[in-house]
Amino acid sequence: MTKRIRVAVLFGGRSVEHEISVISALQLMLAIDPERYDVTPVYIAPSGKWYTGAALLDRGLYRSVPGSLARLQEVTLLPKPGVGGLTKIGGPVDMAKQALHFESEIIPIDIFLPVFHGQYGEDGCIQGLFELANVPYTGSNVPASAITMNKYLCKMYLRQHGVPVLPAISVHRAEAIRDIQKAATWIRSQEGFSSFPLFVKPCNLGSSIGVSRVSEAADLAPALAKVFRYDTTALIEPCVSNLMEINVSIRDSDGVHASVVEIPVSQSGVLSYEEKYLRDGGKKSGPSQGMASLTRVIDPPDLDTAIRDRVIELGRRSFALLGCSGVARLDFILDLSSGELYFNELNAFPGSCSFYLWARSQPRVLYTQLIDDMIETALRTFAINATLDRDIGLKALK
Amino acid sequence: MSSVAIVVYTLGLLFFGWHRILAYLRYFQQEEYSATRFWAWIREKRAFDRRGLCVATITTLLTYFTTTPTALLLVAALGSLAFVGIARFIEEDPRTSGKIRLTMTQRATKIAQVSFIVFFGLSFVWMLCACPTCHAASQSYDPFQTVAQLSIILVMLPPALLMVANLLLSPAERSLQQSFLNDAKRILAEVDPFVIGITGSYGKTGAKAALGELLTQCLGPTFWPKKSINTVMGITRTIRETMRPYHKYAVIEMGAYNIGSIKRLCDFTPPRASLVTAVGIMHLERFGSPENVYRAKSEIAQALPEDGILVCNGDSPNARRMASEHARQTTLLYGLDRSAGHLDCFASDISFDDKGTRFVIHWRGSQYPGRTPLLGRPALSNALGAFTMACALGADPAYAVACMANLEPVDNRLVLDRKPAVSFLRDAYNSNPTGFAAALEVLKTLPATQRVVMTPGMIELGDQQFSENRRLASEAAHVANLIIVVGSANREAILAGLGDAGFSKDATILVDSRDEAFSVIQSRCGAGSLVLIENDLGDLHEGRVRF
Repeated sequence: MTKRIRVAVLFGGRSVEHEISVISALQLMLAIDPERYDVTPVYIAPSGKWYTGAALLDRGLYRSVPGSLARLQEVTLLPKPGVGGLTKIGGPVDMAKQALHFESEIIPIDIFLPVFHGQYGEDGCIQGLFELANVPYTGSNVPASAITMNKYLCKMYLRQHGVPVLPAISVHRAEAIRDIQKAATWIRSQEGFSSFPLFVKPCNLGSSIGVSRVSEAADLAPALAKVFRYDTTALIEPCVSNLMEINVSIRDSDGVHASVVEIPVSQSGVLSYEEKYLRDGGKKSGPSQGMASLTRVIDPPDLDTAIRDRVIELGRRSFALLGCSGVARLDFILDLSSGELYFNELNAFPGSCSFYLWARSQPRVLYTQLIDDMIETALRTFAINATLDRDIGLKALK
Repeated sequence: MSSVAIVVYTLGLLFFGWHRILAYLRYFQQEEYSATRFWAWIREKRAFDRRGLCVATITTLLTYFTTTPTALLLVAALGSLAFVGIARFIEEDPRTSGKIRLTMTQRATKIAQVSFIVFFGLSFVWMLCACPTCHAASQSYDPFQTVAQLSIILVMLPPALLMVANLLLSPAERSLQQSFLNDAKRILAEVDPFVIGITGSYGKTGAKAALGELLTQCLGPTFWPKKSINTVMGITRTIRETMRPYHKYAVIEMGAYNIGSIKRLCDFTPPRASLVTAVGIMHLERFGSPENVYRAKSEIAQALPEDGILVCNGDSPNARRMASEHARQTTLLYGLDRSAGHLDCFASDISFDDKGTRFVIHWRGSQYPGRTPLLGRPALSNALGAFTMACALGADPAYAVACMANLEPVDNRLVLDRKPAVSFLRDAYNSNPTGFAAALEVLKTLPATQRVVMTPGMIELGDQQFSENRRLASEAAHVANLIIVVGSANREAILAGLGDAGFSKDATILVDSRDEAFSVIQSRCGAGSLVLIENDLGDLHEGRVRF
């Protein structure tokens, strides 16, 4: 038997989507092939501290954070190459245990698998740390993660490359706080933004947190103020009133592949956080399965094949243009009145890793396989990057 | 055989003792470890141990009818089992159940431990005294009988033990608190935030949350202790745990427990601006007279520097008086009612719906229409106080109004919980006459097929408690179709008020506890009913306490 690959699965993090990340990671760790991989769960608490321990596999632990963290080992990843894994920090040093097992202060890791949604985990921050530490990691790299997290930049970039997007404008917090009425007037004066309804959302957040559908002028300022509780940039878009959302998952593994498409179903017109992540609007008991438990139609048989093909084509193109890797989910908007299709956003690490879409695709890819491919791709990318010559010697200082 | 009986019985007694200590500790903690208040509560509620006393007495009586050693052992085992049964199965664990649970803080743990050690010591000494070897010569009575007799006294002891343990621990507790306090002072000096003090007979917690949120959104990072933390020790703890170097503002709620308590808080965190939400008659029992309440609250205005900012609620006559008697460079009055005199900031066009409250704020010659998810006039008044203070500190009024739309209700202060069947309007925290009247106004405005008021009435209103409860019960009678009176604290006053209004006796329901009230609601309220839960007293004041 070949040696198992030591995988650190990182999740949690300092993001409003902390909980969703925990749900996604617990799912992923159930699906990962234990014969091939030796999994070390690494939980980043809301405080930003990193912890590891087998207890992290127990869902109940997260209900009693921070108290329950005492049962775990605090670790960190040092931003320097060659450490070989996670460094244990803090806590009482168990001398006897160390003497008996020759346990070192390093937990060896071969590859890092970040399972984060939102800030610090999906936006290039932690990817930057992996780059500094010179360790292989799955998913998109720093620039791809950063640009896909910023909805405004992402749209502007894709529009530049001919991908259709809805018009969008952005407002910064500092301007709005100085004079909110001026900001509101400016928004209304922009072409295509004079009439309601408008969508006002945080520029760098997913999961529908802080999103408002503004249907009258009086609600514009409160909607902006709501965004600025979570983000320093607000994104404003016209609201397509008669729309259908169509999502597709794209991944790279020996080429770029597309999954079947899905149509998420919403009661209120905009998917709320509760609708996305809590079953039955959060009323029903029982653990949520995150994105995998959302009401949706996967691979709708009555969807026009031309539209479906266009979604897939635009999805693959956008994924490649942005330089993404791993498994991403791209959300499109179909204006049912005009028949126009628009790119809406890209999730560099989608909820539940979009496994539910791949399980229904042709050829069928099960979650275990999805993870396998992600890891293999990451190891390959790392090997390629390692061949890049960075050592040009001293010249200027000589 | 007698020794075995003694050991078996004592083990049960010890188990019972530990649970009793925890059960009483929960109330001792709610009374903030004040022996005087705890003792007054025990006497008022007659919260003496009955169950333990029963077991001890019955066991003792049985020993008189027992002749054989085996029977004696049986009696001891039964007594022991009864103790364990009561502690383990009949009574709930105060740490995990009940409305206000026992929180095992370091202090609580220490008090419980010391109390138990004393309890254990006493049991042990008595057991030794009664030990057969000590009475080898005497056969006149059975040693187990002595133990049983003494246990009658022992089971009554836990409340006293708690007070003694607290007294024993107080020097150590004081020095620990002092070191925490010094640490908090050091942090405060380093961070040096602009401190805004808030006090008021009611509304201060809501105003604190609103102001904290508005300042954070409009002006910069703001520190504020969550919930109703308003004592030196509570604030000390929060400062040590959550104050950060980037905090530009600190909003500190200052509770007046007696004359001088706000001054102590002001010495600790000297305010440069103060917000007074109301000076009313709450906690009259602690102060003696309304004038003393005024004096105690005025300390927050007196502590301000000459160039400080004083913002007072103009709807409260005594807060208005404070603004004139302690005027500072910037003195502002806010309110909802312009009939009482000048207001620098006021709200008009107030209306309520399922989404909250709509209003128009008038401030410095401009009008700002807005809305907030908070329900009722008191919540709007608090938000308005926060708005006035934020604007006085330099916030853009239009942005502050926009932020008011995103305020979140403070726990259980007039929160609407819409459900397909019965909806609830919860106003469960420390009810007062103004809050009660405002809750009734909202209850009257919101759509419903049947309107229900469930309340134990208001407490801590001194000699006005009866008349105020009577007055509001009569107001409630004009709004509600069904009134559920919980507990006995204000039963007579409420019934008198309902009588004044000629409210139907069939629609008046008397219950002993909130659980009973909920079962009444389940059986009598149809779909579309709206139930106002006005005041939800802690276990401390609920009708029945059983030990």
